[in-house]
Amino acid sequence: MSEKRFMKGNEAIAEAAVRGGCRFFAGYPITPQNEIPEYLSWRLPEVGGAFVQGESEIASVNMVYGAAAMGTRAMTSSSGPGISLKAEGISYLAAAGLPALIVNISRGGPGLGSIQPAQSDYLQATKALGHGGFHAMVFAPNSAQEAVDIIYDAWEYAERDRNPVMVLMDGCLGNIMEEVELPPMKELNDEDVPYWSLSRRNGRDFQGNITPIYTEAILEGVNIMAGEMYKDWQENDVKVEEFMVDDAEYVIVAYGIASRVSKEAVLTLRSEGFKVGLIRPITLFPFPKKSIRNLDYNRVKGIIDVEMTIPAQMREDIELQVMERCPVYEYGRSGGVLLDDDGVLEAVRDFMTGGTDNA
Amino acid sequence: MKTSFVFSGSGGQGIMSAGITLAHTAIDMGKHATFLPEYGPEQRGGSAKCTVVVDDDPIVSPLPRVCDNLILLNEQAYKKFVWDVKEGGIMLLNANRITLPVEIDGDPVERDDVRIISAPVDDIALELGSPKVANIVLLGILIGATGIVSRDTLAASLEDKFKDKKPGVLDMNMKAIDKGIEIGAQYRV
Repeated sequence: MSEKRFMKGNEAIAEAAVRGGCRFFAGYPITPQNEIPEYLSWRLPEVGGAFVQGESEIASVNMVYGAAAMGTRAMTSSSGPGISLKAEGISYLAAAGLPALIVNISRGGPGLGSIQPAQSDYLQATKALGHGGFHAMVFAPNSAQEAVDIIYDAWEYAERDRNPVMVLMDGCLGNIMEEVELPPMKELNDEDVPYWSLSRRNGRDFQGNITPIYTEAILEGVNIMAGEMYKDWQENDVKVEEFMVDDAEYVIVAYGIASRVSKEAVLTLRSEGFKVGLIRPITLFPFPKKSIRNLDYNRVKGIIDVEMTIPAQMREDIELQVMERCPVYEYGRSGGVLLDDDGVLEAVRDFMTGGTDNA
Repeated sequence: MKTSFVFSGSGGQGIMSAGITLAHTAIDMGKHATFLPEYGPEQRGGSAKCTVVVDDDPIVSPLPRVCDNLILLNEQAYKKFVWDVKEGGIMLLNANRITLPVEIDGDPVERDDVRIISAPVDDIALELGSPKVANIVLLGILIGATGIVSRDTLAASLEDKFKDKKPGVLDMNMKAIDKGIEIGAQYRV
């Protein structure tokens, strides 16, 4: 049975993970995601799961590796600096074909950056979560409710692909309290444990959940298969919200918290008669290429990339689809300074009247 | 209708608790609400701010630049946020910690385009029995002045919140609401 609660984004994430079948968490504290481990530290034992506060991010992500190898739905969470430390482990998860959920509640960067919210990890999440040229699906919900819905099903994707899944949100969405409707607890039985898990060896001598160094020409085949999987994602798994785009002359592209502030700007500008729309990537990888590529550029006069980071990081993905058919403009705040309604509104107005590319 | 509130003061003054209670009560009334906390580096004594948005419809952006109602509990908060309330909005001040005019960089800064409600909420809370209920007095004043949520729904939500506390705690909070509403009602437009 579903139920409504008024919850902090981070706590909603944690509860949704438990209801989605998560039974193991390991992590190391960092603001602004601490409510996730805090919540799971008492919640997981209630459902027979295990919570570990590791001695470091590196230890934690490798514990997740171990739990995932046993077929347990496992997750870790962190913020930018901690995700960097986990990069090696995430790459190893991808190499071993192990599902896991990695949550990044991002903050200002680079380096230690700030503890305040920022969307500063787009490039890290979508281009190189670790070494070796792999990808994970990256989801960017823009509300506590959407985070719940996505996290509830995160392991369905992760186990289907035998690959880690990332949920990328910023500290603002992690800390905001909103109403959420929680889905029922997924009841997972022994037969739901994946066939490849170490716990289902069934007498088999060997189960390759720890990947070796490849000494023969096998790795290329592994890479080719991964490449095919990423193409499948692009065909089948893109999630995007298109809002008032059909007749739009100016289109904002924004994800996460920036998309909510941008939608408010669209509504205000529409009420004044301006034809403005919003494309909101929900999956950042696979990126909703077609939504941007197939716009009618005889009508669209400009694209505005709004992000809570400077310089904009999604811009290159947008430009690859725009192909110089209209100017692309970027607006952002960063370093822990939050976007606000008026700021985005002014930026869009400036662009509509000034209209030049600000690359 | 969308209505926004910004609360600011120092950590420990009950800013976050007031914001959450307001948002929660709005949801209990069937409205939609968001609560966004912003902490300074320290939990207690550092600066604390939170933004609450209440709407009949689902909330699109939780990040207004200027709010309809600004609640300030000390001079530091006043200096930082005095311009963050809309023209015609309400600025609710803790008179025990903020004496107008407040000087910023040597110049007195006062808003004459907003409705200012200045109440000695620390004193009122002490008279009611504890400095801890100053934030509830503030909530009462807000409700009295704006009607954003009903007194009864707030009372029910506090009853739920304090059900495991000593009986006197709930009673003191109820008195704090009613005293606040009495003050706020004088400013109702």
